[in-house]
Amino acid sequence: MRRPLSSLNLGTNVKVKLGRAGFQFTSDLQHLNPEQLSQEAGVSQQEALQVLQAADTGGGGGTFLSALELLQKEEGSRSIVTFCSQLDHALGGGLPVGKTTEICGVPGIGKTQLCLQLAVDVQLPQCFGGVEGQVIFLDTEGSFLLQRVVDMSAAAVRHCSMLAEDEEQQVAMTTFTVENILSNIFLVHCRDYVELLAELHLLPAFLQERTKIRLLIIDSVTLPFLQLFDDLSQRTRLLQGLGQKLIAIATNHNIAVVITNHMTTRLRGAHSHLVPALGDIWGHAPTTRLLLEWEGSQRLASILKSPGHMETTAQYQITCEGFRDAAQSEQPQSKRSRTFTD
Amino acid sequence: MVILREGMCPGLDEDLLRSLRAADIRTVEDLVSSDSEELAQKCSVSYKALFAIRRVLLAQHTAFPVSGADLYEELLSSTAILSTGNPSLDKLLDSGLFTGEITELSGGPGSGKSQVCFGAAVHISHHLKQSVIYIDTTGGLTASRLLQMLRSETTNTDEQMEALQRIRIVRLFDVYALLDCLYGLCGGGLQQASVGGGSVKAVIVDSVSAVIAPLLGGKQSEGMSLMTQVAGVLKTMAKDFSVAALVTNHVTRSGSGDVQPGLGVSWSHVPRTRILLERVETAPSVSRSSLRSATLIKSSRQPCCIKEEFDLRWWSGAAGGASGKRKLDQAGS
Repeated sequence: MRRPLSSLNLGTNVKVKLGRAGFQFTSDLQHLNPEQLSQEAGVSQQEALQVLQAADTGGGGGTFLSALELLQKEEGSRSIVTFCSQLDHALGGGLPVGKTTEICGVPGIGKTQLCLQLAVDVQLPQCFGGVEGQVIFLDTEGSFLLQRVVDMSAAAVRHCSMLAEDEEQQVAMTTFTVENILSNIFLVHCRDYVELLAELHLLPAFLQERTKIRLLIIDSVTLPFLQLFDDLSQRTRLLQGLGQKLIAIATNHNIAVVITNHMTTRLRGAHSHLVPALGDIWGHAPTTRLLLEWEGSQRLASILKSPGHMETTAQYQITCEGFRDAAQSEQPQSKRSRTFTD
Repeated sequence: MVILREGMCPGLDEDLLRSLRAADIRTVEDLVSSDSEELAQKCSVSYKALFAIRRVLLAQHTAFPVSGADLYEELLSSTAILSTGNPSLDKLLDSGLFTGEITELSGGPGSGKSQVCFGAAVHISHHLKQSVIYIDTTGGLTASRLLQMLRSETTNTDEQMEALQRIRIVRLFDVYALLDCLYGLCGGGLQQASVGGGSVKAVIVDSVSAVIAPLLGGKQSEGMSLMTQVAGVLKTMAKDFSVAALVTNHVTRSGSGDVQPGLGVSWSHVPRTRILLERVETAPSVSRSSLRSATLIKSSRQPCCIKEEFDLRWWSGAAGGASGKRKLDQAGS
């Protein structure tokens, strides 16, 4: 079937010029060389060359792979553990690499703590079942706390050195140190949505250079976009573009993308509900959605949306060592106080 | 608009073409819409020759009427109804996805659109032994979930692998890539994909709104044009290659808080059948349940606004174990 030129990825002014000159379908461009086309349509020779190339290659249309090949790929890739075994179990081994995950929750519930924990956990050596990757942390709220990262890395190093048995693991432990963990974290401060979008635009080139990066964290995606409250449709459009960009980064570079989101209230009749912020349409962007919430003094993490897992709930706590399983025997009250003792 | 070219029809030679160009006649449209008599004088060619050319060109570019009887014959021979594997959904769809048509699933995040797509893909590839093309624009496709669904259908590993092989996946994240892919499928990709196994009977786009919606709104009108292109190529593909197209769409809230499918009114004419998926809100304490409701909001076969409830765990088969776990959670809370 004939393909209209307007469906090609070309500049609008070039498309308009081609249309005016009577070119409408890719078949109209057959037997033309760039010189003829630039004369006929009044575009520059370089543009004409681009048009002809686009018309020629367009229609190849992406590489197909069978579900079986995808399954083998999925089985070959590891997940990033959270150090909370209940949550890991619910997610099938941890946060999947190559997918986007959103963490939503009220202030103080531990979104940033989970992000910091993941930044450490992604670096676990492969012989310990880790991913052994680097991490890039886009901080938009100024909430990156280095002291907590040091605590968590020290705890992770301690944990692994206790587990280390065979020689391979002993060797891995010599490089798995707090200093190395810190040097594998790339921190970027973004103060507004323009900086955030610009950074994401430049990120693919950065990722091309540093092939060891396996995790991208944005904490949070909400705050920069709250400034855009005067034009909501613009905000929705930018967010959707951002979501697609994140999915493309996750898939093309095989890295896990973790974003955090705030909660907001929605009125339904006389009742108000707490729902993730940024609206319903944004909710489609992340592949997996985790909700962190309080229930009494207990912290709960539930899967709100996931293509591959049941919607389950896990308990967790935040200790000075980081994000951990909820201890069943302890009083919930003591857990909260321990968080603030250091 | 097609550019006039030498040899398009008898009598249209180089000289004539040059003199037509001089009179600013470049395309078939220009020639057909201009006054032949005037043009004949302007280009100093015979009126008869010009009239003959005009008639041939019109015949070349026209659409032909088909008799209803022929159409019915074709319908019987080429249309297939592909079951989604879920009885409640099949009931809404009048027993399944029809080839040659676009069916749309819309719903909010986590309403089960992708799960229905997975289920339909697995059912078509395993039970009907036909190939499926799955265009994933949200990165949401997980093959392990497909395998999980297949495991509840059969325990034979070879059959599972065969079924997985019949599902062809392409992952793309912008509208130009989607258009490239769809035109590629129309231009021979569909036949290629059907090599080794059944022919392609279904093309699933999950989700179509993810790539189109970022372009809509604001001052630029290009988004609208691209959306029309996607709609056009999907329709042509469904019709010409008799495949069932299943697309997913997001939802927006109207001023009164009602949920309606996204992408606006222009898109609403594109799918033949539309289904809205929603979570079934049970007691407020139990926020998460795998029950979903499906409402038929547009159909040319069934009365609209029929509502059916179904369970997403229908496809997993492991309903017993999972529900036990959920009960445990409820007891704990």
